[in-house]
Amino acid sequence: MRATEYLVGRVVASARIVSGKQRRDIQRELRSHIDDFVEAAINAGHAPDEIEKLVLANFGDPRQIAEGFAWVYRHERRRLQVFAYMLSTVLLAACLSVAVLAIQAGLAFSLGSSVTKVIASRHTVIEALDILVTVAAFLGLTSVETLFARHSFGKAASLLGAIFIVPILSCAAAGWPVRFLFFGLVNAVFLRAVQRFIPSRIVRAALVLICFSLAGLVLASLLPPMLHVAIGTICASWFAMGAGYLLMSDLAARVDSTLLDGLQRLSD
Amino acid sequence: MGIDTQFLKGSIGLLLLNLLSRGEMYGYEILEEASRRSANAFEFKEGTLYPALHQLEKKGQIKAVWRKADNGRERKYYSLTAKGRKSAAEYQKQWHQVTGAITAILESK
Repeated sequence: MRATEYLVGRVVASARIVSGKQRRDIQRELRSHIDDFVEAAINAGHAPDEIEKLVLANFGDPRQIAEGFAWVYRHERRRLQVFAYMLSTVLLAACLSVAVLAIQAGLAFSLGSSVTKVIASRHTVIEALDILVTVAAFLGLTSVETLFARHSFGKAASLLGAIFIVPILSCAAAGWPVRFLFFGLVNAVFLRAVQRFIPSRIVRAALVLICFSLAGLVLASLLPPMLHVAIGTICASWFAMGAGYLLMSDLAARVDSTLLDGLQRLSD
Repeated sequence: MGIDTQFLKGSIGLLLLNLLSRGEMYGYEILEEASRRSANAFEFKEGTLYPALHQLEKKGQIKAVWRKADNGRERKYYSLTAKGRKSAAEYQKQWHQVTGAITAILESK
């Protein structure tokens, strides 16, 4: 009865059920059902080689059954996905913040600028918030894209924009700054668009790094007149940020799925 | 004559709750009972029964327990909860209203 065992295994494996206990219970129940069917078929006088065919014919499409179970246990799966998403966001944002600030401090030091200016608490908080919102929006965008079969990027970006209206309005109503929310949203959509529509890794990297360096230059030109070295520091700092975001966009999906797998194993 | 599974989709909860209102049963037994009571009209794919049972269990309308049967094999037995009993009566009432209305339309001239 290897075929029936394979059938049960396929149902359980494709149902995407989070709890290991639940998966084992379903496996046991489907096996028990098949045992009952086989017993009834033997009593009805069917030949052993005929019984396996009968089981497969009567049991139904394993994909359809798995989809049925997946729907029943969808809330548990979504809860775990949301938890993995939050964990990935915090983890990636924390690593990225540390890396970007370290690179920026190193650049400032090598260019003769004051390191304390880069690591000043206000700058650190703004940078960390920008990174946190970008990572959250980027991972959110990739998750939302899976909801749509066609034109997924455009639809997901629109939906994400609509979702962002809530925190933007809430922050504005509370009198808090909203700049980091706008930055995170635009940055995430830009990074995802580059990742989705530019197949070459080199072109992707060049585009992101050039865009970030130019953004640094534009920002420096808006500030009061300053020394060339200070302008260079700002551009280099934005270049480092671009490199960090580029790395994040490459790692985000992998980190999220690895954490999801790990959490699923933990619940077994 | 087999029944279109689309017809069954909305009414499987009612069918299962009604069958279980006659006593606890395990999956294979439920199918046998449904087939017998409907004169073999209900012969849907067997595996599709279990997600429906798990859905009812999650909604608290039925409860399940693993027990050894007389032949020594373990089976998962399902039975109605108080909530399920109430739902079964409610669904049955709704079913009669719907079928009554549909019949009235089908037989109107």
